[in-house]
Amino acid sequence: MTQPSRDIRAAAEDLLLSVRDVTKHFPIKEGALQRVVGQVRAVDGVSFDIRRGETLGLVGESGCGKSTLGRVVAGLSNATSGAVYYELSAADAARLDAPAADRTATQSAEIARIEAAHRIDHLRGESAIRFRRNCQMVFQDSFASLNPRHLVIDIVGRPLRVYREASGSDLTERVVALLEQVGLGRQHLYRYPHQFSGGQRQRVSIARALALDPALIVLDEPTSALDVSVQAQILNLLSDLQRDRNLAYLFVTHDLSVVRHMADRLVTMYLGRVVEAGPTRDIFDRAEHPYTRALMAAKPDLADGAAGMRALEGVVPDPARPPQGCRFHTRCEVATPACGWEVDDVVRWLEHRDGLFDALTGVARDSAFAARLTFADAAAARRLDAALRSDAVPAAMRAAIYRQELRGPTLDLAFGRVPEVTLTPRGPDHAAACLLTAQEP
Amino acid sequence: MLDTSPQAAAIAEVRDLRVHFDTKRGRLHSVDGVSFDIRDGETLGLVGETGCGKSVTGRAFLRLIQTPPGIIAGGSIAYRPQEICPTCTGAGCGACGQSGRRPEERTIDLLRIPDEEMRRLRGDRIAMIFQDPGKALNPTLPIGAQVAEVFLQHRSAEVLAKAQLSGAVGWAGGALRRMATQTDTRTDRIALAFPGARARRSALQSALDDMVAAALAETQIANPRAVMRRYPHELSGGMRQRVMIAQALACNPDLLIADEPTTALDVTVQARILELIRALQQRRRTSVLYISHDLSLVRRVCDRVAVMYAGRIVEIGEAEALFRDPRHPYTRGLLAAVPTAAAERGALAAIPGTVPELVNPPAACRFAGRCSARIGTCTTADPALQEISPVHSVACFLHQTEGAPG
Amino acid sequence: MTDTNLGPATAGPAPETAFQVRLRRTIDLARTVLANPTTVLGLVIIITMILMAILAPWLTTPNTPDPYQMPRDWGTVRMPPGTPGYPLGTTNEGGDVLYGVIWGSRTSLILSLVVVGSTVVIGIILGSIAGLMGGWVDEALMRLVDVFLSIPELIFALAIAAILGPSFTNIILSLVLVFWVKYARIMRSQIVLIKQAEYVDAARVIGDSRFNIFRRDILPNAVTPVMVQATLDMGNIVLIGATLSFIGLSEAGIAEWGVLVSEGQAGIASGRWWASTFPGLMIFLWALAFNLVGDGLRDALDPRTEGR
Repeated sequence: MTQPSRDIRAAAEDLLLSVRDVTKHFPIKEGALQRVVGQVRAVDGVSFDIRRGETLGLVGESGCGKSTLGRVVAGLSNATSGAVYYELSAADAARLDAPAADRTATQSAEIARIEAAHRIDHLRGESAIRFRRNCQMVFQDSFASLNPRHLVIDIVGRPLRVYREASGSDLTERVVALLEQVGLGRQHLYRYPHQFSGGQRQRVSIARALALDPALIVLDEPTSALDVSVQAQILNLLSDLQRDRNLAYLFVTHDLSVVRHMADRLVTMYLGRVVEAGPTRDIFDRAEHPYTRALMAAKPDLADGAAGMRALEGVVPDPARPPQGCRFHTRCEVATPACGWEVDDVVRWLEHRDGLFDALTGVARDSAFAARLTFADAAAARRLDAALRSDAVPAAMRAAIYRQELRGPTLDLAFGRVPEVTLTPRGPDHAAACLLTAQEP
Repeated sequence: MLDTSPQAAAIAEVRDLRVHFDTKRGRLHSVDGVSFDIRDGETLGLVGETGCGKSVTGRAFLRLIQTPPGIIAGGSIAYRPQEICPTCTGAGCGACGQSGRRPEERTIDLLRIPDEEMRRLRGDRIAMIFQDPGKALNPTLPIGAQVAEVFLQHRSAEVLAKAQLSGAVGWAGGALRRMATQTDTRTDRIALAFPGARARRSALQSALDDMVAAALAETQIANPRAVMRRYPHELSGGMRQRVMIAQALACNPDLLIADEPTTALDVTVQARILELIRALQQRRRTSVLYISHDLSLVRRVCDRVAVMYAGRIVEIGEAEALFRDPRHPYTRGLLAAVPTAAAERGALAAIPGTVPELVNPPAACRFAGRCSARIGTCTTADPALQEISPVHSVACFLHQTEGAPG
Repeated sequence: MTDTNLGPATAGPAPETAFQVRLRRTIDLARTVLANPTTVLGLVIIITMILMAILAPWLTTPNTPDPYQMPRDWGTVRMPPGTPGYPLGTTNEGGDVLYGVIWGSRTSLILSLVVVGSTVVIGIILGSIAGLMGGWVDEALMRLVDVFLSIPELIFALAIAAILGPSFTNIILSLVLVFWVKYARIMRSQIVLIKQAEYVDAARVIGDSRFNIFRRDILPNAVTPVMVQATLDMGNIVLIGATLSFIGLSEAGIAEWGVLVSEGQAGIASGRWWASTFPGLMIFLWALAFNLVGDGLRDALDPRTEGR
């Protein structure tokens, strides 16, 4: 659990939505009795705020947890730990963020009050309804998120029916008004979703999300499946709506060019954690985390001429066993010895070499950082020992080994133990979780 | 560098290609008079949005269009197979750009050759990779078996030679030869299970495995032997795409058609796959037709780019020339619609309207209904592609020279 | 505001009301179903049989006191088809075979409607509970279903009917007990699938109640395969019911096709084929017709082609 960095909090302002140390784990079940053998740590400790009227971009590739996080924020699934708070005042936010260690009795009571009144999974009655009405969602797949058997009027009018805001012809008129707001019209009322194009279906989705006049809309990759020109129309529409209604957006996407255009502030995620957060312009001017830089290098801006692409090596590690220290160290080109090298990295880097691990008979782990590998014969152990001293593994990893002892068929290995890398401030409101760039001038 | 000047030989010449589809609504003119060249060794990008006909064009090369409801309504695709360069007999020299091969003089019309001949070309001389590798790979066969199929279909002689079984005689010999071309019968398989023949069958199999492993290793798959035993669902998306590329390039084709090969992949994986395709293409001098809707990718990967709209090519030219100075209003609209750092929020240049229905289209510029710079002739005549520079052509009346017929 | 995006949805005149649109969609579905000639054949047969069942009291003279009992007339035993007044001949006990065929359609209709009706309702309820609640309720119910399904339908029904004693009502009962599991399983798997659909998530985000989501999103989309299976079972139930009757687990002497086949089979060796053949033919036609219609319905409701 990280201490939420004060620098990605809004200073002295009332917040619309606050995420504090949210984790979401999914159990891995095996066997006939469905025993839980591990956890997929889809979201593993994320904190940020969203203010009224602003767009926060949540960026990352598949498997980083951004969609899962979007669903937790929208209230569709419950966090495993941590919480999402709705409409925290600046003062309450400060109270929550103060260190828990030395709380007095009054302070604890205050915290309890805040939790009861603002935690979205603790809300009851009126306040629960208020949150529900104010936090809506638009999904990525417009075809799958509209019931194929319902007409547009049923779909867009449903929120109004659920909260009994209108019925009959009054309902029809309100639906028509909503459709016109998103660039559709009365003639679309009595049609089925499959009769529309992708862009139009997304407009229907947006109209539905607007029906209750919410304060926040979670947009889960709303334009990823659309053509460029249609995407432009939808993005323009979203911008206009935001301006007219002071809407806040949580914009989840993998497309950096879209998020650069749409988001005021931006959070980059990797393997369930935040690696960088801050104002969009600051991050694009100077990204402070190697992963953010890699994302930008992989798909440079169209206007940047023939700038070459640079690709990122390696594969995303198993989210059930995230790497130690900085989770990105297994693919980082500039990793240092202190970035979290562990026993698993030996396998990650060397498993493709012919026969290095064929004779492995046992691994006795003391921790993620230290283990004894036993081989069938001393020669195999020697080969691994030699490989670990060669260029086959990164220099930073070699430097991180503080014990490497060969005893016959056993190789005793220990890396320096390092804590998780946390977010450190880099500028006003800008933070990144990287040891290297923290030291850069 | 590559000689992609117009005088260089083209490996494929598409002339007035027309592919229509019979639908309930009428006859859809999906591809309606498309002409372009793919030059030897170049990467030509075919860009457009959904429904413009780019995928259909790509599939037409390999006749992968279902007929019915598809109809090849006209045009030709003249393909020039490559031959060993006579100057250096395959060793590589200046005349053939160091690749050892060059296009022949004769051409084959891909739309008109008999099915059997097309089947021989597919996978061997012209290969294709698809958007979703998960769907293009057979989920019930291990990777090794799938890549092996390519060798067995097109390189059976090589496989036999490698296993030193070319001269095998008798019933075992015949059975082995049939096995090498996947035409073996049950009797053959039973026959080869006998102890005497089994050794030779396993020699065949291991020769095949070596070739498959080599093909996989070329696409930078670490540990190919392990991957060969796995099934597609056990691999990541990027890995599956590499397998598909290995399969496509196994027989060293002259032309590779890549239909949105990286759309389904993450951005960082995308970059690596593109680098891989580029590297392989440059090493073997394969020509690539790169179909995509992603303009920024196309800009970086392609030598020349063709922009398609509503079944026609509206602009074609060298990548840098086209992106720096787009002429056709659609191209300009498309480029302006991509969100960039410079664009102001809420003011992305969106092209109004939608793609027209291509059922019995009238004789007019198909973009006219959405074009802000429309003039009189645009609604009465079809503009043809006209050169505005040696490396840039546009199909638009606004840029036509005088006297150009519509 | 950005452009109004006019696309394919506006092609053609805009329909007036929701009712018209839904009506048109049903008509389109009917048209797809009827496009298949075998389905039409099946429908024709079914309609004929239903008409026969409904109009039975007018097509024949109902037997007194119980029209469901075959008439006995020792004066007209074993007459061949074509005898005046008895176009299909008579049974061993002098009953009119045509009477048996017509009233048999009534019993078959009652049998299939009652059995299919009850099993569908029971299956939907239990399947929904299992699918929605998940957890141990789901596990328990599905293991129970597994046990039931591991016994072949016919043998199971046979066993129950034998235990309960021979009667028509007991046949209905035993069939209900055997067949509900099929629907429970279908319903449960559909619900588990649809629960994860994005439009269900969308309804949850709106804040709709769980009951409403079930009623408006899950149930209508889950029930389609159940309906197809029900149609097919209308035919199969009569087949199995006839088998049970043939073995003797039903009441003797009633106007039911299976019973008639059973009672008439003794005469076949002596050349009196008509008492068994005509009722047998009816069983065949009934089962065939419902299978044809069920298949046609399944093809028409395939989500890939629906509504296109």
